[in-house]
Amino acid sequence: MNAAVDEALRARVKSLEAMPAMPAILAPLLRCLELPPDQIEVEKVTELVSTDKSIAAQCLRMANSALFSRRGAIETIRGAVVALGARRLRDILWSSFLIQMAPKAQWPINPMTFWEHSFGVALVSQQLAKKVALPEVEKVYLCGLLHDIGELVNATLLPAEFHTAVEYAMQRNVSLYEAEKEVLGFTHCDTGKLLGDYWNLSPDIQNVIEFHHTPGDAPPPPALAAAVNLADLLCRLRGMGYGYDELREIEFGEAPAWLLLAKAVPHLEKFDVARFTLELDAEAEEIHELVAAAFQT
Amino acid sequence: MSTQSTVAERPADRKAPPDPVLIKIRDLIYKVCGIYMPDNKFYFLNDRCARRTKALENVSLREYYEMLTAGPDREAEIRNLLNEITVGETCFFRNPQQLAALRKTILPKIMAVKSALSFTRLKIWSAGSSTGEEPYTLAMLFLEDSATALKGWTWEIVATDLNDRSIAKAKEGVFDNYALRNTPLPYQQKYFKDRGPDFLIADEVKKRVSFSRLNLLDESKLLFMKGIDVIFCANVLIYFDGASKRRTVHHFYNSLLPGGYFFLGHSESLFGVSDEFRLVHFPGATAYLRPAASPPGGGVK
Repeated sequence: MNAAVDEALRARVKSLEAMPAMPAILAPLLRCLELPPDQIEVEKVTELVSTDKSIAAQCLRMANSALFSRRGAIETIRGAVVALGARRLRDILWSSFLIQMAPKAQWPINPMTFWEHSFGVALVSQQLAKKVALPEVEKVYLCGLLHDIGELVNATLLPAEFHTAVEYAMQRNVSLYEAEKEVLGFTHCDTGKLLGDYWNLSPDIQNVIEFHHTPGDAPPPPALAAAVNLADLLCRLRGMGYGYDELREIEFGEAPAWLLLAKAVPHLEKFDVARFTLELDAEAEEIHELVAAAFQT
Repeated sequence: MSTQSTVAERPADRKAPPDPVLIKIRDLIYKVCGIYMPDNKFYFLNDRCARRTKALENVSLREYYEMLTAGPDREAEIRNLLNEITVGETCFFRNPQQLAALRKTILPKIMAVKSALSFTRLKIWSAGSSTGEEPYTLAMLFLEDSATALKGWTWEIVATDLNDRSIAKAKEGVFDNYALRNTPLPYQQKYFKDRGPDFLIADEVKKRVSFSRLNLLDESKLLFMKGIDVIFCANVLIYFDGASKRRTVHHFYNSLLPGGYFFLGHSESLFGVSDEFRLVHFPGATAYLRPAASPPGGGVK
């Protein structure tokens, strides 16, 4: 790609008005949930969520899914706050809103595949963070959920070029990241960062979006980007990737993200990666069903 | 181990929280045997435990767990349960993702290293080959590639098992429908003779596998297994106690050439068993690698 085309593409991506819009109701909701726990007005949150019946239904489905409680016993938004806490309600709201965001253009990848991957990485990052007792465990779900949000930008703003990149990736069995670098000259990490900025996401999330393929370059501490990187690799190897096998062989013990995480988490060598990998087969099945159910409504 | 093709009734409420005792049994099996059943396999584990509790005059699941952990016959009972879990599992093309990793990644990598040294020989070992489905599957895959990727290479598939009857059956090469349930049709047509009630494997395949009796606990015999590129050993080590498992795995390590790979069954793990091997991931499969450059003290140049 020559420099002029490259610049033109970047200019298009930067036309922020065309960026996927954050659902209007989400911002006031998130503001409500940012307050200290004892000041959160559960009634107000419930009221805001309930203004849209389909969103409210989606929230309850999420709250009862493998991503959250697994118990299937949460019947109201208020019940979700009581059972899971306000912080988790924030994760539920994001999950519910995102899955309802319809792509404006025809996606070259199946949107269900995209959401399965995003939910997969959210869940796997969080479980990984829990198992290794990562201090940032409460932040990691959203980081995982939003890590590939740049693909949404690419699919919306650059459908033709993105289509070429996806084809390139599938034909050569390489990652979308590598294909985008080759075909577009920039990646979903760059465009995701622009969207993260536009949506005013927290710096932690923006860093993960920008550096989840290069966690070594993330501003310190890089543990969140490293955890999401590992979860992303695992999902792509265990049936929660982009619908094709782009990875050949990974030795986790030698992966850059693993080595970074080992600095943040003592005793990482005691973590049973083989068992964790097998556990993911059950997660993949549940996430597949969850996304299928969300798309049916 | 792959339980995906097992015919087991899925209860409608399989999303309901599993019986805590069942979770304990799952964790016990993982700790003692290294075989792990994820949450979506609880219905299967429940079914297999039910077969045992029924055979044991309808003891409750809790009583059964007591028998597995504290009963006088606990070792024998764990073995009985393992038999129920793995019964009827052997079939051709049992683990397609392992085979894909072998064919797409492992063999090209090993062959690139070997051909740079002007070696053109490959040796695969199916350890615990039972009635022959696994080594014959490997032979068919290698035959398919013999005129293309494997052109100019000689290859050898060594199959060993403890049980003489299994070996005799493997050599006979007669299989039923169930053993062929995962076999792609082109392979079925090309390498089997459909005799109506059963299938006979083609001589072309049969003569590429050498079967022999070998006890994996017999260390003096294991010393002779050398120069192996890839080992397959599914659902065998789960029956060994910790010390035997460690010894056998160490022998596997020494049997492999540096850069060689070791596959267990789909659900098995070597966690806590070996510090020598390195866990590697492929799409849908994991394997253990003997690193090409041995770590200090590994004793291999």
